[in-house]
Amino acid sequence: MAEPLIIAIPKGRILEEALPLLARAGIKPEAAFSDENSRALRFATNRPDISLIRVRAFDVATFVAHGAAQLGIVGSDVLMEFDYSELYAPVDLDIGHCRLSVAEPVAMAASDDPREWSHVRVATKYPNLTRRHFEARGVQAECVKLNGAMEIAPLLGLADRIVDLVSSGKTLKENGLAEVEVITQVSARLIVNRAAFKTRAAIIAPLVEGFRAAVAQKAA
Amino acid sequence: MTIAPGLLPEGFRDRLPPQAEAASRLLHRAIVAIGRHGYDRVTPPLAEFEETLAGRLKSARSQDLLRFVDPVSQRTMALRPDITAQVGRIAVTRMAHRARPLRLCYGGPVLKLRATQLRPEREMIQAGAELVGVSSTAAVIEVLLVAIEALEVADVTGITVDLTLPDLVETLASGALPIDPDKIDAVRSRLDAKDAGALAALGAAAYLPLIEAAGPVALARAKLAGLGLESRLDAVDAIAAAIGDRATVTLDPTERHGFEYQSWIGFSLFGAGLAGEIGRGGAYSIVDANGGEEQAVGFSLYLDPLVDAGLGQEPRRRIFLPIGYDTAAAIALRAEGWTTIAGLAEGDDGRALGCSHLLGNYGPTPY
Repeated sequence: MAEPLIIAIPKGRILEEALPLLARAGIKPEAAFSDENSRALRFATNRPDISLIRVRAFDVATFVAHGAAQLGIVGSDVLMEFDYSELYAPVDLDIGHCRLSVAEPVAMAASDDPREWSHVRVATKYPNLTRRHFEARGVQAECVKLNGAMEIAPLLGLADRIVDLVSSGKTLKENGLAEVEVITQVSARLIVNRAAFKTRAAIIAPLVEGFRAAVAQKAA
Repeated sequence: MTIAPGLLPEGFRDRLPPQAEAASRLLHRAIVAIGRHGYDRVTPPLAEFEETLAGRLKSARSQDLLRFVDPVSQRTMALRPDITAQVGRIAVTRMAHRARPLRLCYGGPVLKLRATQLRPEREMIQAGAELVGVSSTAAVIEVLLVAIEALEVADVTGITVDLTLPDLVETLASGALPIDPDKIDAVRSRLDAKDAGALAALGAAAYLPLIEAAGPVALARAKLAGLGLESRLDAVDAIAAAIGDRATVTLDPTERHGFEYQSWIGFSLFGAGLAGEIGRGGAYSIVDANGGEEQAVGFSLYLDPLVDAGLGQEPRRRIFLPIGYDTAAAIALRAEGWTTIAGLAEGDDGRALGCSHLLGNYGPTPY
């Protein structure tokens, strides 16, 4: 029998919403998977040919792009940041909705006109996406890569602006920041490794179809 | 700053035993298999004038080439990132007068300016064949069968051939599924990434069935019915039928992934247990000296992933010949397939030199 398929699921934000979708697609993980305290990294499911791994969102894309996992669930923000050529995103899972935005201190935003920017210094988890976004509109972006707590960067003078995920805008507000530009809307996607998609089509194609149906069922 | 001994530039490596031998064995086997189908070998040079190389490469631009000024001619030269374009050049210049269809094959190293995170190598071995003068279904079938045979003799199992229709989006955009010309590039790029969410956001939801169609040929065919693609799909069926059970055939109608320069059909090759694509090809046209175009079909194989997966290695029986050994006996042993390691000084240790046997008075004796 062939190696089991591995589906990479991100910790945090998307995990909770992903579980009902997995269930509708016919995949039920073992109990330890939902236990935040479990130290296990790999989990069995009700299907002997499928197991799950739980990793950081950015690593989901990396595992799947390299073929170490064959499928994954990840936000479109991460896909845009890496722009891996070996990833397919055949299903928009319609979960994990938020947006990726540029924010700056409220006082600065009051007098700032984004049309006049030529150079910006930005703290972000998404340096590639940020650079591409600003380049496309003729602005040179100098990115300071951070892994979290972006909101503090403008306050401490690390960078004037940040590019980060925004859902309610509460965190921005609490840190005295204002959203000045939306780069893109974000939602979670089912991703598939390109080579696996071709070479194991017999098992992956129905699975992808299952997720597609699960999303349609939820929407209905 | 000094460079640590042995440090190589990023993306380059030494191949040591037994991989070095496996690499040359696999290349040899593949080229011989291709040659038996009537493809004659050509050997273009490692570097050319940038102008002639870049002009023919449709897959790479000048800025993707490793370039330097030739101290002799003072012209810019470039190392080849791909041999296909060179073979195309040979076909329409020096071999333009030869009868068509012209069958040529090649094998050798190529050099990429930039590696990707997923393929860190900048130097790789490329082998392949080009069938110049035709691009019919029959030609595609021949080329695919040659490619499959070359992979088979290189010990690749579980071969998958993924067919694609490179100009499909243009065809549909000007016919069955019209889209705004400004959006064609974006739609094509999102179709390539099979990014259903972004495609819908572009207002090209009508193209979503194309993403869903990717998969085994029979299934893909059913999903593409009614789009006016019958002649293409008949060709796909003929190809799948000709390949039969020698490989799994899938159809991915909208794959781009470097197929920009292919005409009506392209394909990628995959093997069981081998990460990523191990070969690709398709139909294309070569621009000749007079600006005319000549049809061609070809494929390239990338052999390094095979070597990395341990293919092409053959166990060797190594035997130590102590000083003063019987020369005739050693010749006989090599003829039988033994690898002999001769002792040159008293202290030489056969075991340390990787030998399993010692040539004793009564023939090979295990250590």
